[in-house]
Amino acid sequence: MTATTDTLQLRREVRDFLAEERARGTVLGRPDSWLTGWDPQFSRRLAGRGWVGMALPPEYGGGGLGFAARVVVIEELLAAGAPVSAHWVADRQIGPSVLAHGTEEQKQRFLPAIAAGRCYFSIGMSEQEAGSDLANVRTRAERVPGGWRLTGTKKWTGGAHVNDYAIVLARTSEHEDRHQGLSQFIVDLRAPGVRTEPIRLISGEHTFNWFHLDGVEVPDGMLLGQEGDGWKQVTGELAFERSGPERYLSTFPLLVSLTRELRRGAATPDQQARLGALLARVFAVRQLSLGVADALDAGRPADVRAALVKDLGTRLEGDIVHEVRRILPVTADTGATPGSYPHHLAYALLHSPGYTLRGGANEILRGIITRGLEQQS
Amino acid sequence: MTTALATHVTALRAAGRLAEPGPFAETVLGHLALALPRAPLTVALADGLTLAYARPAVTGVGPAGTSGEDAALRVSGALPRVPYGATATVLVLAEGPGGPVLFPLDPARTTVVPGTNLAGEPRDTLHLHDYAVAADDVHPLSPAELAEAGLRAALARAALIAGAAERCVELTVRHTATRTQFGRPLSRFQAVKQEEARLIEESALVGAAVDAAARELSLVSVAAAKAQASASVAEIARIAHQLHGAIGFTELGDVRLATTRLWSWRDEDGDESSWAARLGREALAADDVWALLAV
Ligand SMILES: Cc1cc2nc3c(=O)[nH]c(=O)nc-3n(C[C@H](O)[C@H](O)[C@H](O)COP(=O)(O)OP(=O)(O)OC[C@H]3O[C@@H](n4cnc5c(N)ncnc54)[C@H](O)[C@@H]3O)c2cc1C
Repeated sequence: MTATTDTLQLRREVRDFLAEERARGTVLGRPDSWLTGWDPQFSRRLAGRGWVGMALPPEYGGGGLGFAARVVVIEELLAAGAPVSAHWVADRQIGPSVLAHGTEEQKQRFLPAIAAGRCYFSIGMSEQEAGSDLANVRTRAERVPGGWRLTGTKKWTGGAHVNDYAIVLARTSEHEDRHQGLSQFIVDLRAPGVRTEPIRLISGEHTFNWFHLDGVEVPDGMLLGQEGDGWKQVTGELAFERSGPERYLSTFPLLVSLTRELRRGAATPDQQARLGALLARVFAVRQLSLGVADALDAGRPADVRAALVKDLGTRLEGDIVHEVRRILPVTADTGATPGSYPHHLAYALLHSPGYTLRGGANEILRGIITRGLEQQS
Repeated sequence: MTTALATHVTALRAAGRLAEPGPFAETVLGHLALALPRAPLTVALADGLTLAYARPAVTGVGPAGTSGEDAALRVSGALPRVPYGATATVLVLAEGPGGPVLFPLDPARTTVVPGTNLAGEPRDTLHLHDYAVAADDVHPLSPAELAEAGLRAALARAALIAGAAERCVELTVRHTATRTQFGRPLSRFQAVKQEEARLIEESALVGAAVDAAARELSLVSVAAAKAQASASVAEIARIAHQLHGAIGFTELGDVRLATTRLWSWRDEDGDESSWAARLGREALAADDVWALLAV
């Protein structure tokens, strides 16, 4: 991507906005803040600037801009460690998905609310027996007059205890090919029959849930896309879910924190060299990642490239944690002052197992990459 | 002594494997150094303390304060992040006014700031304000004994790491053999096998280095063992978590008991950078680096 005056201007505006938010104390430079930084007020102020739902058409309250412009905003927010998790899923994948597959009524109802930073979604895909093997979902939807009744249990559902809706993948019919007969539903998380139970992370934080659907009635109007097209739709969503800058920038705030610490004294040549090596790698992965945004804007297939960026980028996220700790050793401590270097290090470390799992385990992505290579030859 | 050490290291590996609560490594370490009552002990190798004679000798030869009427001491300063420091008897090893000393410390007479490591093991900071040590409690050590205590502490920690690494292998092998996805156990997938092999290799590497240091305790062997053990932690914990999937990332899984300890222990008693630097300095000072390693 070549920076245009538009994107340069946009980047400057986002930086000014972030400076104001820092002064307010809402942007704490925390690593992985797109997973755990849930702040609806922040989401709304961001939306007030037109930076949520940027790629949605203006008639639905969106910015009518391309993915490249959205990437500019997202990069700035992630590098700063801004609390973006409330609107994250809605902005990243539900908006584009409803726009692509939704009915006119669904578009009217959800897109303006998403773009206003007021409507938050969870992803209800994974289950006990359906992790990497997503087509193995057991949650079923049966026809009832005027709609569907959903029964099953989703697992690892991020934010189901605080968000408004979940997009649920459920089986609507049985077929020899498991990829057929799946459908997507928009489920109101406050509907009768919905029950969530926390599953704590190793850091003690609560973002994951068991998400039980005990005969939840979903009206016809909340089926997303065509009945039986769930697999195709989900696969399309994953291209968005996997390609963004959050796949290499999650721990960048820790690098920022390190740099601040090193500036306090005289960094040794070794520290400078190690920091430089990390930054060079971030630079290179970023260039690859921007290529994916360009491909999406141009309507070119990007799944192989997205998988490649995610494998490289998420491994780098973990490497940064370990290398930063080597450059400036400190005892990672969740009891340290919030915002301090040892505090950031502790959370970046305790979150590290997640980087290469969420959005599909890296091994699955390597499978996509190798299959992609086979198809090319 | 060497065989006793090897036996203790074997026991420490088992303790690390089982994520045994309590100052096990430290108790074993303390008992190696001295005959003391069989009670939970912890060892603090202190370099942030100021020790002075409680009753400086008036007729002593040499500069004031370098000798005392008796061995009684007054101690001030902090002992940071002592394992189980608030609840165990703390054995302090420090440089005293007349040479290295060891003395038992009563945590009740210190200001305790409780803390934990990432695994939730107590790591308490003890502040000493003009703390009085009776003459009978002061045990003089030779400089060699003090240096050796540092090596033993690092080796004990490396042995715990080796144990926790074995546990990662054990749990991961069990998990991938029993967790079924795509209609077959995870371990049947080529990619899983490759990662698992790397995990097993890395864990074996740590175990071998620790065993070698236990057989032949020296600055070089311990520096190599602890530097390698600490350096391998990142990869071992990474693979163990990756192959466990989301369950290992939560309190529903057991692998965290090993991995959060690994992430803490690699820092404790000297991390890989400090031990690698010591080894490097040793190698640079030596005539023949091969002779240094192949004793
Ligand atoms: C931080 C985080 C947030 C998440 N948020 C959500 C959410 O909001 N909603 C939701 O629905 N899900 C969510 N998930 C779940 C996520 O999608 C799954 O964890 C992921 O798809 C892997 O499934 P699993 O954990 O069951 O691992 P499994 O499928 O059991 O796999 C375990 C490990 O086995 C290996 N493996 C599995 N299959 C293969 C194969 N074919 N080839 C090679 N190796 C393989 C990989 O190493 C994998 O990591 C989240 C996960 C994380 C970590």
